Amino acid sequence: MGLFDILTGKRKLKAPAESRLFAMTTAAVTLEMSLELKSSGKAAIVFQPLETADFTGIVRDMEEVLRGTGDDTGTQVDKTDDSFGYRWMVLSDEDFEDLVVGINVVSQALQDGGYGERVLCAVFSFRDAGDKPVYWIYNYKRGSYYPFVPAEGAQRRDSERELRLKAQIGHELPVEPELERWFPLWGIPI
Amino acid sequence: MPRPTSFGKDTGLQLRMTFTLFLLGLVYVVLIVALLGAGVNGATVGIIAVGLALFQLFGSDKLALRAMGAREVTPAEAPELHAMIDRLCVQADLPKPKVAVADTRMPNAFALGRSPKNATVCATTGIMELLSPAELEGVMAHELSHVANRDVLVMTLASFFATIAAYIVQFGFFFGGGSSDDDDNPSVLVLFLVSIGVYIVSFFLMQALSRYREFAADRGAAIITGRPSALASALQKISMGMDRIPQRDLRATSELSAFYIFPPGAGKALGNLFSTHPPMEKRIEALARLERQLQGVPA
Repeated sequence: MGLFDILTGKRKLKAPAESRLFAMTTAAVTLEMSLELKSSGKAAIVFQPLETADFTGIVRDMEEVLRGTGDDTGTQVDKTDDSFGYRWMVLSDEDFEDLVVGINVVSQALQDGGYGERVLCAVFSFRDAGDKPVYWIYNYKRGSYYPFVPAEGAQRRDSERELRLKAQIGHELPVEPELERWFPLWGIPI
Repeated sequence: MPRPTSFGKDTGLQLRMTFTLFLLGLVYVVLIVALLGAGVNGATVGIIAVGLALFQLFGSDKLALRAMGAREVTPAEAPELHAMIDRLCVQADLPKPKVAVADTRMPNAFALGRSPKNATVCATTGIMELLSPAELEGVMAHELSHVANRDVLVMTLASFFATIAAYIVQFGFFFGGGSSDDDDNPSVLVLFLVSIGVYIVSFFLMQALSRYREFAADRGAAIITGRPSALASALQKISMGMDRIPQRDLRATSELSAFYIFPPGAGKALGNLFSTHPPMEKRIEALARLERQLQGVPA
């Protein structure tokens, strides 16, 4: 943000960064091979549904496309609205690559409609050897991933595990460098 | 179908704000010239004012929070509020500020801190009870917009010279009432008069600037949440709640009130020139305009 923008209080939502979503496709192989993290077969994309005719139209078209391709790839699509008013498009598919492609269909449709800045994040869900959930969250605005591992107890996260994951994954994923932007997402439905 | 590209655009507001800043700058140039003309005293006064401004920027956060009876809360203590702010921060591309809660029934919220990295947002327990989640989200987005717009910094810097002028006026009363020093220096009298002028004019300009920044924060909130009407309804609820609940609970300084979502005591008609916040109807009207832009309805 420039000085003039600060002085005049001008605000624009940041548009998505150049997409590095697909880095997950190759990273998932490493996650499974060396870190024993297996995909739970589900991924989700979270966005703010605007209450406008234009936006609902775009979302409707996007869902149709998604279900259409889902018939070929076997990807199943569900949607839920959470208590914060965000919409979750949950994709289920045993083939991890199809999940990433499906997520990209959603974000691309919103971006093409001019609503790219309404996308909050994408969530890829993994299970470790003990069947505990481990999430990788993709922040569209920053084009980076970060790990999120909920711990026992309400609103607690296993930061040690997250930091270890960051070290273990190395350069295979663009990991968010600023730790204060590793925003938790509680109650992930996948 | 094209998206409504005009969403969030408010050229008039931009112009008014820039013009106010320009006028403020102009007034301060006059003061500087007068200071230079009068010579010595200016330097000392300047140092005092710089010290005060620095204190305001670096030390006032904790003081203000304590004055409000607010305390920082952990995610475990206020899970809903934290989760809401987390999401808004992702949308607004901001680092997470500290989150505080003030235990008072007065429905209000405010933001503190000189930069996004040192920011604190605070909500009262009253506002969390009064508003629906979507409305509260609008209010917190308004506060985060203050943070993103660096309003504390802008207002502190903008009031810097007004502070100097205020000090000169006070010093002037000191010397003017006392004994005559060496020789009657006419430039001191001129400086005194100029300072009074600067103080008065900058006071009104500051108030205007503050109002514009409120509008800007409202607009910022609407852009972040995509729900201008939720904030409008929150403002309406708060203003009604403010009238219902006795005001004596509040011992806030006017400095603080600049960053409230809604100024304490605003139910009374203060007259536009003197208030730091624009009138409720104007704010709701501006939000309605944003909603129309969002819906793609021509204004």
